[in-house]
Amino acid sequence: MSEISSRRIGRREFLRMSAAAGLAGTGLAPFANGAFGAAGDTLNFFTWSAAVDQVKSHLSAFEAKYGIKVNYNNAPWAQYRETMITKFVGRAPLDVLWVSDTWLPEWAEAGWIAPVDNWPELMKYNAEANDFCTQSMLYKGHQYGLTYYTDYMAFFYDEDKLKKAGIAAPPATWDEVVEQSLRIKKAGLSEYPMMLSMARETWLIEFMSALVFSHGGHFVDDAGNAVMADPKQGAHGALQWVVDAVNKHKIVSPACVEIGELNGLKAFSSGNHAFALIGRYRIRTLNDPQQSQIAGRVKQALMPAGPGGSHATVGWMRFHGMTAQAAADKARAANAAKLIEWFGGKADGKYQFQKILFLDVGSGFGVKPLFQDPDVRAAYQKYADVVMVEKQQALARKKDVISRWFGDWDEQNGTAWQSAIVGKASVEEALKKSAQSWNDLKKQA
Amino acid sequence: MNAGALAARGRFRHPVSAYDQRSAMLLLAPMLLVLLAVAVFPVVYSFWVSLFDLKLTRPLRVPFVGLDNYAHVLRDAMFWASVARTAAFTVMSVAAIMLIALLMALLLNEQFRGRRFLSAVLLIPWAIPYVANALMWKWIYDSGYGALNGLLYQLDFIDKYMVWLGDTRKTLALIANAFVWKEVPLATILLLVTMKSIPADLYGAAKVDGADVWRRFFHVTLPMLRPGFTLVMIYETMMAVRHFDLFFILTEGGPADASHVVAWEVYVETFRRLSFGTGSALAYIVALVTFLLAFSIIRTLGRKL
Repeated sequence: MSEISSRRIGRREFLRMSAAAGLAGTGLAPFANGAFGAAGDTLNFFTWSAAVDQVKSHLSAFEAKYGIKVNYNNAPWAQYRETMITKFVGRAPLDVLWVSDTWLPEWAEAGWIAPVDNWPELMKYNAEANDFCTQSMLYKGHQYGLTYYTDYMAFFYDEDKLKKAGIAAPPATWDEVVEQSLRIKKAGLSEYPMMLSMARETWLIEFMSALVFSHGGHFVDDAGNAVMADPKQGAHGALQWVVDAVNKHKIVSPACVEIGELNGLKAFSSGNHAFALIGRYRIRTLNDPQQSQIAGRVKQALMPAGPGGSHATVGWMRFHGMTAQAAADKARAANAAKLIEWFGGKADGKYQFQKILFLDVGSGFGVKPLFQDPDVRAAYQKYADVVMVEKQQALARKKDVISRWFGDWDEQNGTAWQSAIVGKASVEEALKKSAQSWNDLKKQA
Repeated sequence: MNAGALAARGRFRHPVSAYDQRSAMLLLAPMLLVLLAVAVFPVVYSFWVSLFDLKLTRPLRVPFVGLDNYAHVLRDAMFWASVARTAAFTVMSVAAIMLIALLMALLLNEQFRGRRFLSAVLLIPWAIPYVANALMWKWIYDSGYGALNGLLYQLDFIDKYMVWLGDTRKTLALIANAFVWKEVPLATILLLVTMKSIPADLYGAAKVDGADVWRRFFHVTLPMLRPGFTLVMIYETMMAVRHFDLFFILTEGGPADASHVVAWEVYVETFRRLSFGTGSALAYIVALVTFLLAFSIIRTLGRKL
């Protein structure tokens, strides 16, 4: 029943459209109004609802410069993937959009977004971008956009607590994290000195990856084969560290499985912990007296290294991509490329959008020259050590599990890690299950 | 001559004309069309979808698979584990709801000062939307700053803050507790209404026969509450089997798979994996199980209604 005939295409179209309509009916997919297809010089630009004012302002400048009208719409991040897939399936008019590195294989493979590597004016920016950013935009040898925002998982510590415990320097290894945490615990400064967020949410893979990479491990090898269960090169050391930290050393709260990224931030900023694994961009909040009780005391250290590991961490990035429908039309594609460059590259010779985002909301950027920008350095000086920020960013790596089946696997893997942490499975069993799930999904795909 | 006598003589029972029939159909048609569009069509269509391997992220290949999606679901060990968790959640929730609602109804059936105020207060949980209820309990159960830990600590019941939702041995019971809190008011009202309809003569006769308060409760009140119990049990069982909001907001199926119930599986399959075929099959299985449960409850408890 899988061969394509005109009658069957009609039925499938009907099925897909109906499913899309069903999603739309749930409120997940507010369909763009009216016409299916852009007219003339009008571009359709879709983002998630972040920095909306900054986007609108930058768009106005684009429209004024190029005389290209842009219809701008956005949807909440939490529903963005479903919303966009519904739009793709429903063939809503879309030209340029924000894409998360996580969705790239899925969207590229479905033929919804198009490579942009035939636009030399866009590719030239790779020379100034962090390598993991460029790598995160590649799928099957093609590049699908230009980065506008990137960040990484950072290791923070409360300098005050370390001083009170008589600790002169922050930990450089995960063993030292244990050792220093026990000292802090013994001094009565914190019951659970290390804050880890291990709740089932989209952030979980970032926390896991940071732990795994710094232990010198991988979830999958370069060929995409599961190696997470391999004790020598996999995730064993990282997961074992977490399990011991919770159950043996008791330096991480057993409640970590119910603590999400935001609650983790709140817990750390309220002074409950000495160390934390949190997204780099949170340091602005952590050192803001209006939002944090430990403001001025939070410092960043390089990600502690596991045995045989390094100070590597995980990076993530978001980029401006072009839809396949825009790419199919030469004139629209040319305009779309201009819009991508305006936001992801330079506008009037400067990385304006990335800089606006950083200065206004503290978002990270993946273009190295901005670290030398006097305004950026001045802003960083108020709440962070820009040298450390840049140094750690240079050690960031893309997530190695990004694949078409990532979403399905992520569910299984999250369950497996939590099972080990709460003692329902051994580290070996959990990772074996995770690897099995990866292999099954890869085979099905 | 009164209306009853006229009716008996057939003066009001004239045959319905074809015109009347047409008018009735015409007037009913808009509503019928709406019902067909919003109720019948989605139900039938979702069954049609369940016969295809429809995954939104794979738009170019939508093969017809017949009942394979159903077979796949029924072969999946994870599904059966989630069925077991759903059953445990349902049994503990419905049992607690019925017991607490019975005690509340007995209390509110008595005359005492402040009864009306208490009745009004009782309705508050019922008036709170499900999502707001879930967010409130998330705050209460939080291991770091939750009200439950705060209360128990201040009362010296615990010497340090406890892990609640993060403890797999407690997760399901805690979610059931939040569900019970929300559902008890409605169950209480249903039982109270049934209780109010018990004829006072029965209690009088029982007293004359020398029955004490316990005998009156077990031999008059409880048997007469059977219709109310049946209604509450059917409704709450259906609500518990299909419940999703608390699982979504409190635990997302975790920690590990401690709260991975069937409703959560349907959500994950449909809206995260975007597998509409398998998701529809799962939803149909849940609907069928719910129907069978309601049917068996009516058959066993309701036959003497």
